[in-house]
Amino acid sequence: MPLLERLRHLPRDTRDTLFLLLVIAWVLAPQFGRLPLWCTALTIAVLGWRGVLAWRARPLPSRWWLLGLLVLTIGATLLTHRTLLGRDAGVTLLVVLLTLKTLELRARRDAFVVFFLSFFTMLTNFFFSQSLLTAAAMLVALMGLLTALVNTHMPVGKPPLREAAGIALTMAALGAPIMLVLFMLFPRLAPLWGVPSDAMAGRSGLSSTMEVGAIAELALDDSIAMRIRFEGLPPPQSELYFRGPVLSTLQGRQWQPLRSAFPPRMQDAAGLQVAGEPIRYQVTLEPNNRPWIFVLDAAQDAPDARSMSMRMSAQLQWTTDRPVSDLLRYSAQSYTEFRHGPMRRTAALQDYLELPPGLNPRTMTWASELRRDPALGADPARLMDAVLQRLRTGDYSYTLEPGVYGPDTADEFWFDRRTGFCEHIASAFAIMMRSLDIPARIVTGYQGGEANAVDGFWTLRQSDAHAWVEVWFAGRGWIRVDPTAAVAPGRIGSMQRLRLPQGVVASAMQTVNPQIWANLRATWEALNNGWNQWILNYNQSKQLDLLKDIGFDAPSWEDLGYVLLALVVLFSLLGALWTLWDRHRHDPWLHLLERAARNLRAAGWTVAPGSPPRTMAQLVHTHWGGQDSRAQALTRWLLALETLRYARAGATGSVRLSDLRREFSQLPWPK
Amino acid sequence: MALAQPFPRFLRHPARHVQARFRHWLQARLTPRDVLLLTQRNVYILPTRPGLMLAATLLVLLVASINYQLNLGYLLTFLLAGSALVGMHLCHGTLRGLSLQMMPVEPTFQGASSMVSVDLVSERKRVRHGIGMRMLEGEHWVWTDVPSQGRSSVHVAFNPQQRGLIPIPALTAETRFPLGTFRVWTVWRPASRVLVYPAPELHPPPLPEGQPLAGGAVQAQARRASGEFDGVRAYQRGDPLKLVVWKKLAKADEMVSRDTQQMQRHQLWLDLTDTGLPLSLPGRGAPLERALSRLCAWVLQADRQGLDFGLRLGAQEIRPASGEAHKRRCLEALARYGNAGG
Repeated sequence: MPLLERLRHLPRDTRDTLFLLLVIAWVLAPQFGRLPLWCTALTIAVLGWRGVLAWRARPLPSRWWLLGLLVLTIGATLLTHRTLLGRDAGVTLLVVLLTLKTLELRARRDAFVVFFLSFFTMLTNFFFSQSLLTAAAMLVALMGLLTALVNTHMPVGKPPLREAAGIALTMAALGAPIMLVLFMLFPRLAPLWGVPSDAMAGRSGLSSTMEVGAIAELALDDSIAMRIRFEGLPPPQSELYFRGPVLSTLQGRQWQPLRSAFPPRMQDAAGLQVAGEPIRYQVTLEPNNRPWIFVLDAAQDAPDARSMSMRMSAQLQWTTDRPVSDLLRYSAQSYTEFRHGPMRRTAALQDYLELPPGLNPRTMTWASELRRDPALGADPARLMDAVLQRLRTGDYSYTLEPGVYGPDTADEFWFDRRTGFCEHIASAFAIMMRSLDIPARIVTGYQGGEANAVDGFWTLRQSDAHAWVEVWFAGRGWIRVDPTAAVAPGRIGSMQRLRLPQGVVASAMQTVNPQIWANLRATWEALNNGWNQWILNYNQSKQLDLLKDIGFDAPSWEDLGYVLLALVVLFSLLGALWTLWDRHRHDPWLHLLERAARNLRAAGWTVAPGSPPRTMAQLVHTHWGGQDSRAQALTRWLLALETLRYARAGATGSVRLSDLRREFSQLPWPK
Repeated sequence: MALAQPFPRFLRHPARHVQARFRHWLQARLTPRDVLLLTQRNVYILPTRPGLMLAATLLVLLVASINYQLNLGYLLTFLLAGSALVGMHLCHGTLRGLSLQMMPVEPTFQGASSMVSVDLVSERKRVRHGIGMRMLEGEHWVWTDVPSQGRSSVHVAFNPQQRGLIPIPALTAETRFPLGTFRVWTVWRPASRVLVYPAPELHPPPLPEGQPLAGGAVQAQARRASGEFDGVRAYQRGDPLKLVVWKKLAKADEMVSRDTQQMQRHQLWLDLTDTGLPLSLPGRGAPLERALSRLCAWVLQADRQGLDFGLRLGAQEIRPASGEAHKRRCLEALARYGNAGG
């Protein structure tokens, strides 16, 4: 293998540069999908070019080249993001700077700049994902950077990278307790100044409007939306409707939040009445960058999330005062028995009957036929039943790939395609209801979910996103109708769900042993959940809980500072003690020698400070003569002490310091 | 410039002056010793510029973590800070416990680059990486690693500017391992002195004529008569080894010596008063140094030619002889003439 051979015998400079480039590529790789295309292409090209230059030991390009590239990329950033400030533009600039700096690795100072830029770039990854995988990848990146940094400070010869990596690992391992203490006790402050608004862009979640097709993308997304821990048994899965945005106004084929034709005082209040025992639960909501709080239908009292205030809209949706940009934990209680909405027909209900003019003519025709049907007697409940009956028996089917619909979405669904997913079905159903003069609106949220067998948390994914319908009947208020259940009973209330075609490995795994696959997935998600609960959701309240456990009665964040300060003082004291001990610590051999000298001096002999063992042996000889048995014993011991110190390595034989120390007290010292 | 001249030096460059004074004071404070065990007391540590940059980086990372409420950002920041702290400790530990031992120093010539050998002895199990040494006033670092429980030798160059038995200038050992964020260093004044001979004159005039010696010419004649030519003759017992033509020995297995043209017909005396240079005795300074320099060149030349020669320096007289020991004696006398350098 000439390539491997060549790699092993690379000159040190080349090897170090290639390693650093590799680490930088690793740091940048997670960004590639999110950066503008030109930036990704530039990054890959420049890193590759730099690698080739290093491999062939060619000179670096001149400063003018760099300057030109820099100006060009700043221009491109400005064009792409329309600004140089803000998060996304900042990330792009940072990546560009880091990449271009690799072309200028000349002095040691340049290397440091690359390291520090890399640390920033690592942090920017966390803007987009703080998952366990990201953390693991960035830990590897940090180790790589530290290894490269340590390696730069080993100026002698060509030490193997393994050695530098070992030292970097040691440092990180010893630094980990410091990290842990700081992480637990460093007061969690509110943002020091306003975060640029684009910090909230680019994360997925339910949409605030519903254009037919939008939820299709969510349904493809297996990532977790929220986790729930029920106190007691969870309700049946078919009743798990987590309410999100309510869409009441139809514009063309887009459902939007209510834009009422009436002034606020004329609009109906929520009018929620609950009955029965509440279900209590804690929710861990993944960041969705919307002010939406998802609760099980229907929650009367505001969910408790400590720092956030929540309010309920007239459509029963709970929202908070600022977007959920971080993992949010709240506890809530819901009642599955409830009624809401006006009991008698009000003027404001007219909002829920509006239809875009001129669209869906065939649905309108069908509605007027139904209303004229003497068998139904124009009774709203029986009209709705008739429509649901058609959904059940009319050869309608549920699919994730319904194709693109035209403007007359309801017509296409009812009469032509007869297929779609919850969004199409709910939309077509609501349009039909309105055509029948029954007030109707769309509710979006999450439905169903599954229990994780490993940690017992109930998990709802983005693929559990759902849209259902609420219709209003006089005397009953708003009632939930899920037309999707009529089309595909399996979609609601059981584990069976349509799945996307998976990767080869995943599908093979699933075919061979679905149980193992399910277990693996459950374990992985439990791991992730633990990560979320313990790391990502570690906030001020948890810090204060920790202080309470330590013994503070009413901890405040100042107390955190005190505890941290106390630990620093303690640590410094320990360090100072160690320093004292270290200063007085003697070489054990010297210590033993000094004890021997002290014993000889005690007998009144003159032993010069720093006398070696042989000198002392001679002293013994002068005082007692060579024939004395005491002298022989002492001399033997002293010479053994000498051998231990001065013999060639490996030639000390069986002499051990501990043996000599033990013999010390039995020796016939002069009195 | 004309205005600046009247100012004392410390007014023109106050900072540099204070720095120089401080350094002088620091050095004077140090006890000279040939074995220096590095402990907490004599190892200093300060952050480097990259270290301050790292601190700034950490601060920015922390602010970003606070502003974007990134718990993972906190973790990254604190892990980096923890590693840097551990790095500081490792950096200090690289020098702490190390023992610097001065090896015997060979005499050298004034103005010529000389090597000081220092052994770095470590009793620690871990390797000590990236230790640099140089003269405190020097510029070039010599880098070394000290193996676990072993020793490593470092050769530091210095240019003595003064002849005589002079103290070895202060040395400094430094390390920035492992992260380069801290500079850990020590300053060491060795107790050893180094003998510095005068710089030999570059192009000295030929050796002075010797004083005729009874029988010397006859001896030389006798050798001439044996038919040798071209400066090569058969080896005779007592010929200095450096006169042996070793190449010839290797080829022909025959001991052959170079003939010295001036076989001792005369007795050669090198005298300070007879160098052909003006000399203002007993003054010291430039003329004397030039004379010593010439004498030094002559001593070397005479020794190279294997001649017997004697040296007279004022009252001091070294009787004619030859060989390495004699040469060294003469050179030492030259170095210490006038009690230079103590």
